[in-house]
Parts: sequence; C-alpha cells; structure tokens
Amino acid sequence: MAYLSMGEAHRRITDYLGRFSDAVSSQDVASLKHLLSLSSNSPSLLSLADALNLFQDANRLIKQSDKYSQFAEIVVPLFRCLQNYKLNNLVDAYHAYEKAANAFIQEFRNWDSAWALEALYVIAYEIRVLAERADRELSANGKSPEKLKAAGSYLMKVFGVLAGKGPKRVGALYVTCQLFKIYFKLGTVHLCRSVIRSIETARIFDFEEFPQRDKVTYMYYTGRLEVYNENFTAADQKLSYALAHCNPRSEENIRMILKYLIPVKLSIGILPQDWLLEKYNLVEYRNIVQALKRGDLQLLRSALEEHEDRFLRSGVYLVLEKLELQVYQRLLKKIYIIQKQKDPSKAHQMKLEVIIKALKWLEIDMDLDEVECIVAILIHKNLVKGYFAHKSKVVVLSKQDPFPKLTGKPVNA
Amino acid sequence: MERRQKNQQQQNPRRNPLSSSSSSSSSHSSNRKSRYRPPNRASGDARARHREDSGLDSGDATTWDEPRSLARSIDERASAAGTRSSMGIREQQEQHQHHQDGENARDSREFASAVGTCPYMCPGMGEMAQRERLRDLAVFERLHGNPAKTSPELAVKKFCRTISTRHVQLSDIRPLSVLGSTLDYLMNLMNSTPEPFETVHDFIFDRTRSIRQDLSMQDILDKRAIHMYEKMVNFHVISHHKLRLSSSGPNSFNISSLHHLNMEQLAKVLTSLYNLYDLNRDHNSMHKNEPEYRSLYVLLCLNSESLPEGERLSLWFRRVPTPVIKSKEMTFARRILRYFRTDNYKCFFSTIAAEASYLQYCALEPYIDKVRALAVLLINNGGYKLHPYPIAHLSNLLMMERWSHSASHVALRPPWTSREIRFYPPNSRPSIIQRQDMGSMAFQVSKIFAGLSKLLARQIQKRGIFYDHLISSAFR
Repeated sequence: MAYLSMGEAHRRITDYLGRFSDAVSSQDVASLKHLLSLSSNSPSLLSLADALNLFQDANRLIKQSDKYSQFAEIVVPLFRCLQNYKLNNLVDAYHAYEKAANAFIQEFRNWDSAWALEALYVIAYEIRVLAERADRELSANGKSPEKLKAAGSYLMKVFGVLAGKGPKRVGALYVTCQLFKIYFKLGTVHLCRSVIRSIETARIFDFEEFPQRDKVTYMYYTGRLEVYNENFTAADQKLSYALAHCNPRSEENIRMILKYLIPVKLSIGILPQDWLLEKYNLVEYRNIVQALKRGDLQLLRSALEEHEDRFLRSGVYLVLEKLELQVYQRLLKKIYIIQKQKDPSKAHQMKLEVIIKALKWLEIDMDLDEVECIVAILIHKNLVKGYFAHKSKVVVLSKQDPFPKLTGKPVNA
Repeated sequence: MERRQKNQQQQNPRRNPLSSSSSSSSSHSSNRKSRYRPPNRASGDARARHREDSGLDSGDATTWDEPRSLARSIDERASAAGTRSSMGIREQQEQHQHHQDGENARDSREFASAVGTCPYMCPGMGEMAQRERLRDLAVFERLHGNPAKTSPELAVKKFCRTISTRHVQLSDIRPLSVLGSTLDYLMNLMNSTPEPFETVHDFIFDRTRSIRQDLSMQDILDKRAIHMYEKMVNFHVISHHKLRLSSSGPNSFNISSLHHLNMEQLAKVLTSLYNLYDLNRDHNSMHKNEPEYRSLYVLLCLNSESLPEGERLSLWFRRVPTPVIKSKEMTFARRILRYFRTDNYKCFFSTIAAEASYLQYCALEPYIDKVRALAVLLINNGGYKLHPYPIAHLSNLLMMERWSHSASHVALRPPWTSREIRFYPPNSRPSIIQRQDMGSMAFQVSKIFAGLSKLLARQIQKRGIFYDHLISSAFR
C-alpha cells in the first residue's frame, strides 16, 4: 500500500467534507448520492477510509468549521462506518451507518422539496445490504443475526416520513420494495401486509405516479404473495404486469418473474413455448409442460421429484402438484380420441378398465376405486362432462364438449 | 454456567427460541447481581397481541439478542463508558424493537441461566401456602377433596403471566429434574383420572405452561428440553382430538373455545419445538422424532386457513431441512396434503388407514369428516342417478361402519377398530342416510341429495360443516 502522509489524509477528509456540504447547499443529489454509496466500493471512498484510519481525529476537523459542523450528526457516524467497513468490521459498520441514516432522515424531513430523494434511495439500499452482511458476520461468529430486522424497522420509519402529501411521496414505493426484499429474506412475509395496505388504500398515493421501475418490482413481489396464497387470477394479473413493463434487456429480472408466472399460467391452462423456457433457463419446467401436453402422469411425478428441492425452496411445489388433475383430463381425452377413431358411436362410453390399462402402461398402478374417485373429481371440477356408473364400471361422457377447456380460469374449487 | 459451555461446542446461534423478540436493554439499576428478574413474558402466553402477529413464523425467533450472563453485562457497562459505546446502539435497537412491536410491554430482562432450587412441583413457601389460604386449588390438588388443603405431592405450580413486578427467588423455580417428574405426573394424570376431560385439559394446559416458563427462565435449550416439549405437544394434539369428542350438549360452546385456545397454544409449542430442533442440530442431521413432529404441522394445516395467523405451507416448506423433507413421516404428510388438495378421498382414507401414527391421526381428525362429506358429494354429483350406490362399498371407502338405527334408517359411523395404536373413535352423532332396502343407497337419498347438493357444496366448502349435521337438519 502506498505511503499515506498525514497531510494527504487531512486533505482527503476536508475534500469530502467540502463536497458534502456543497452538495447539500446546492441541492446536487447526483454528487450527494455518490458520497453515501458505500457498497459501490468507489476508490475515492476507500481512500477516504484509509485517510480516516490514519488521521483518527476527523471529529475535531468537523466541529472546527461552521460549514461542516451542521452536518456533524450525519458525517461523524458516516466516517466511523467507513473506517469499520474498510477494516471489515461489518457489524460495527452497520451500527454506524444506521446512526448516520437516522440523522439524515431528520435533515431530510426539514428539506422542503424532494430534491434529495435519490440520496435517500441510496441510503435505503445501503442499509439493507450492510445489514445482510452484518448478519452473515454475526452468524459466522455463532451469534443471533438481528441486523436485517433492525434495518426493516428503520425503513418503516422512512416510509412513515415519505407517506405524506408532498412531492416526497413518490419515494414510498422504492422503500416498500426494499422492505419486501427484507421481509422475504427474513421469512416474515406477513409483515408485508401493512405496507401493501398503505400503498393500495391510502388516498395520498396514486399508483400511476410512481416510477416504472418501482412499479415493476412492487408487482413482482405482490404477485409472488398471491401465488403463495393461491389467488391465481390476481397473481396472473400482477406478474403479467411486471413482465409487460419490465425492461426487456434485464434478462435476470424477466427470468425471476417467469419463474413464478409459469406455474400460475399452467394452473389456468396456458402452456409456455419451449423457446421461452430455453431462453430464460427455466428448463425445470420443461418436463412438466410435456406431461401436461401428453397426459403423462408418470412424467409429471418424476419431474416434480427431480426438481423437488428447487420447487420447494421457491415455494411453487404445491401449485405444480395440483396440475395432476389437468394431466388426468388430458389422458382421458386421449383415450376418448382413440376410441372415437375406432368406433365413433361407442366412443362416449369409457370403461374404467381401459383407464386402468392406460395408467399401467404409464407404469402407474391404480385400482377401480381410485379411478372412479379421480373420475368423480374431474366431473365435479368440470374438467370432464358426464357421469360414471358404479355397477357397470363405466364413464359416460357428454356428447358435446366432454372435456371443457380451462379458458384462463383456474380449476374451480 | 456449565450447561452453556457444554453446548458451546456447537457453532449455533445461541438464542433462546422459547421467548420471542426482545433485546436485553440497558438497565441502570445497580443491584443486578443480587436480584433475579425473570422475563415478564412466558413462552406460552396466548394473549399478548404482538405475539399473535408473528404466529408460527419462525422468523420471529431471530430477533432475540445473544444471551448474556449477569457477569458479562456488568462488564460491558463498565467498559461502555470509555469507548464508542455499544450501549447507545442497544438503546437505539430498543427503540426499533418498540417500533416494530408497537408495544412497550417489556422491562429490561436478564438471562441469568440460573438453576432453580425448588424441590417440589409447586414452590412450598410462597405459592402453596397462599393458594391454600385463598382456596385456589384445582380439584386434582385437593388433599382428600378438601378445597383448602393440599400437599407437595399434589400441588403443581400455576402459570403466572405477570412476573416482572415480583421478586422471583431461585427457590421458586423448579430445576430440570423436578420439571421432568412434574411433566410425567401430569401426563399420567391425563390417562388415569375419572374427571371429565375438559377439567383435566384445563389443568394440564395451565400447568404445562408454567413448566415451559420455568424452562425458559433457566435457558434450558438442549435435548432434554426437546424431550419435554415433545411430550407437551403430545398433550395438545391428543386434546385436539378428545375435545372434539366432547363437543356436544350444553357445554359445547365452552368446549369449542377450549379447542380454539388449545390450537393456538399447540401452534406456539410446535414453533418453539422446531426452534429447539434447529438450535440443536449439528451438520445436516436431525433429531430422532423430528420428522413426526414436523409432519404434525402439515397435517394440522391441511386447510391453510385453519391455524391462527399461520404461515402458508408453501412458505413453511422453504425452511424445512432436507433430511426431514425426505423422511417417511413427512412424505406421508405431504401425500395426505396432496390428496386433500385434489379431493382424492380414496387415497386419503386408504393412506391414513395404512400409515398414520396415533398422533398424526389426532391431528388429521377434523379433516376426516370433511373429506367424507366431500366424497358423498362427489359421488352423488357424478354418479348415475338411476343406479343405487352400494352402502357397503361406500362404508368401506370412507372407513365407516354400517350401523342399523331402525328399519328405515341405516346409519354410517366410523368404526372402533383397534389396530395397534390406530383407532377411529365413534362419533357421538352418527350420520344418517335413509334407505329403502338393505345393501344399497336409496334412490330417495339421491333425490334429496340432488336438491341439497348445491347447499351442501356451498356450506361444506365454505364452512366445513359436517354433512351429518346438515342431513339430520334436512330430515327434521
């Protein structure tokens, strides 16, 4: 490491202080946000950290000048954070950053216009990312990871500041999305409810006013929540919105949206084309789509087993399991088509034995009772039109449209 | 304390999963070392509002600050003066905690990891004498039926919600061995007393909460705690089943609220148990009984609206360790879940009959009649109306016994078969299907069903009312 003189250290510190106070007084958010963006690992911030670690008495410098001392509440902990960050003490860095962030929000409140919103975004982002790293450090040392939860509390406070009538309110959605990320990571997803309620029902917010990027992220997360709650129509709506408005070049984001949208679409009977799965690397769905097309129950089961871990972790496993009924429908339809070819007049009567034989061919063993049960279910859910006769062990299909399509509505309960 | 050092070998986050969020805040009283102050919220408190919110979400467990011994906290306060203080941060965190929880309910809390010294099931000096004086003795605690006299063999320490304002002595807390024998005593009581079940349930419900409180105060988080928690889950699950049986007659409103409270408490005990499993896990192993106890959550939650503030199963599965997911018990539970969600009544019953353990059956019981009702609905809906459906076949399918009520009625009721430890107790209200001749379901019934099926469908699916209740009201 190059030798750093005291003089040079002093210079770097006063340079930063100068830029900070100039940025604030001239309401220059572009400069200000760079000064707060820790995780960007910009060389100027890192070299400042070196300077601080050497100089050790920056507080005196700050208090000495009137120009700088008005921001002391923000800058003093910020400097402490930088020092700890450089030394890789992430827990202490987080504490200090949170203190600086709290002081910042106090100042922010007093500023009239929303000029500093982007700097606030940076702070919201940094606090989450720092908290995640601090928690990793805590876990590695055998302690309980609690900083991310604290970051969540801080962001709720920020949300409260932004939820007012002024121009600052357009920032609320960004903060909401950061909160979603935190809650999803912590698994405390039920906490999303209160923010969602505020955004969607409070009269201060007009959803259309928010920036596009935030709307997409918001719809992605709320869409995911609908998937978990199995409200497929709402999930379809929200995730499709996110997909439609997402930047077509951010493939990773599109992939994340599709990962949840595909099971939803499958549940309402819409199958994705193979090139889509290929393009966005979602090949785990390929066999499932095949199974639905072919009525191949065995393929569905083996596909679910093969990717069980992945589907369980993303939380779509239970949704995919239910596709079984649509696979049965497809199988029966195929049998029907074959029978029709052989003898159109008798095609609408299907012996249960035939179904058993077809399943056996797919290497699945089922007895008469189970097949009758499945048929009863399909009829009840309107996947098959007709009736079954227990004594004659036969399914009698309706002469018109015996296998209604789902037409974009989920298999009815 | 030696217990903590022993467990220090495992590199697990040392957090007390039995209590929920709190941080040990800065306390400025100087007399800390001499005065023992236990937490003011026991692990089993059903009423605390902020606890309700997190329900079964084990994310809640991560908020607890690392446990500190008395000695350490005093040192820290001493050193805090000079350096950039972590105390200031603690205060800030407290603020955040309050923000998050919205309630200022907690005082400063110290975890002494002390060992209690009370040798009896109930602290002799204070509580036992006081309760004798106030005649506050449960029926099981009375010596020869005398409501003002008890004995050390009969009195069991009560659950006390507001402890923070009291001076709790170590002699009021029961050490682990005493807690173990107290729990065994209570479990034996459950099976051996002639008193009505609601009374026993009430007593054991309260006394086991007190046991959990004592465990939590002494920071007992190891395998012995797991063993005790498992027994307490057993109690709640069996109550879940037995309370349903008594839910008829003049007491039924009372019972159903008991049932509801039991369910809430069961949820909390299960969550604590799961946290204990996580805490005591080394590498990717799992505790011997963990698969069965994890599977109980799935079976209790088949219908996602059933548990209060319960986490959606999709989210819950995300955090279950892989060896548990692949276990026999969990696989069983997941298959039952699949059959339930796809209305597959045939596999639902045959799988339960073939594979369920007694505990699993108890957890499933509320759903069994729902699926029976649904099966009748489906068969009636899709079956050929002109051919009667054989009752014998139906009874086999739905695991119910034919029971002759009168010449014009054939009733079906669940049989009492004891197969090892599996049995299906008789329902006190049999389901009645009118019939015209033996051995087949009457055409009469299907006509009535056809009219009722819409009504049934709505009510069963929306409110899960047992169909027998509906049928009997239709026939009235």
